[in-house]
Amino acid sequence: MLFFRSEERAAKWCAGRGVPRRPLVTMNQLWKLATTWYATRLEAVARRPQASEMRALFASIGLDDDFWDPGSDRFG
Amino acid sequence: MFADRDLGVKVAIYGHFAETGRRPEVVDVARRAGIDEAGVVASFQSLRAQRLLLLENDGRSIRMAPPFSGVPTQHLVEADGIGYFANCAWDALGVPAALRKPGRVHSRCEESGEPLDLPVGLEGPESSDWLFHCLVPAAKWWDDLVFT
Repeated sequence: MLFFRSEERAAKWCAGRGVPRRPLVTMNQLWKLATTWYATRLEAVARRPQASEMRALFASIGLDDDFWDPGSDRFG
Repeated sequence: MFADRDLGVKVAIYGHFAETGRRPEVVDVARRAGIDEAGVVASFQSLRAQRLLLLENDGRSIRMAPPFSGVPTQHLVEADGIGYFANCAWDALGVPAALRKPGRVHSRCEESGEPLDLPVGLEGPESSDWLFHCLVPAAKWWDDLVFT
């Protein structure tokens, strides 16, 4: 999970390694993921999101293809 | 002390990371949680099974307590005068989110090496056109979390 300066930089990095270019995520989308995942992590009540919650989170910010499906085995 | 040992250990681990920016040793967790070291090590294994912790091969050293990294990485977050290493780009934003403090993310473009210096407030990062890329599909993230 890496940062890239631009779409072109990400595409060049993937091409150079012969790996598929995956969906790119904006900083605002990433903040939504980070806060949902970690906002309560330091508290006793925290827990990891379940698969259904992960799907709902990804879908809420427009990440709704199979790549983001925690139950999918169509990739990798 | 928590009635649930694993919970007490987890809170102790995260409390140490938050206060110091560094991973706790078993003895640190034992002292903070008020239990013996054998109990801490047993809880480490339990927390690993719950995917809340990643351990080094010795079973006693914390490699990851997401979003915190137990070892130096290319993703450094400064908050309230403390430096924290994050495991990945996602976790770099996860550190200020978990701490609930403003911070500053220092990282780089993986292709060009251009440095990223991103202020993050309580409401999120400053406007930025940098992008995040994840190579591994969500269903495979925990197959090899270090690679992910």
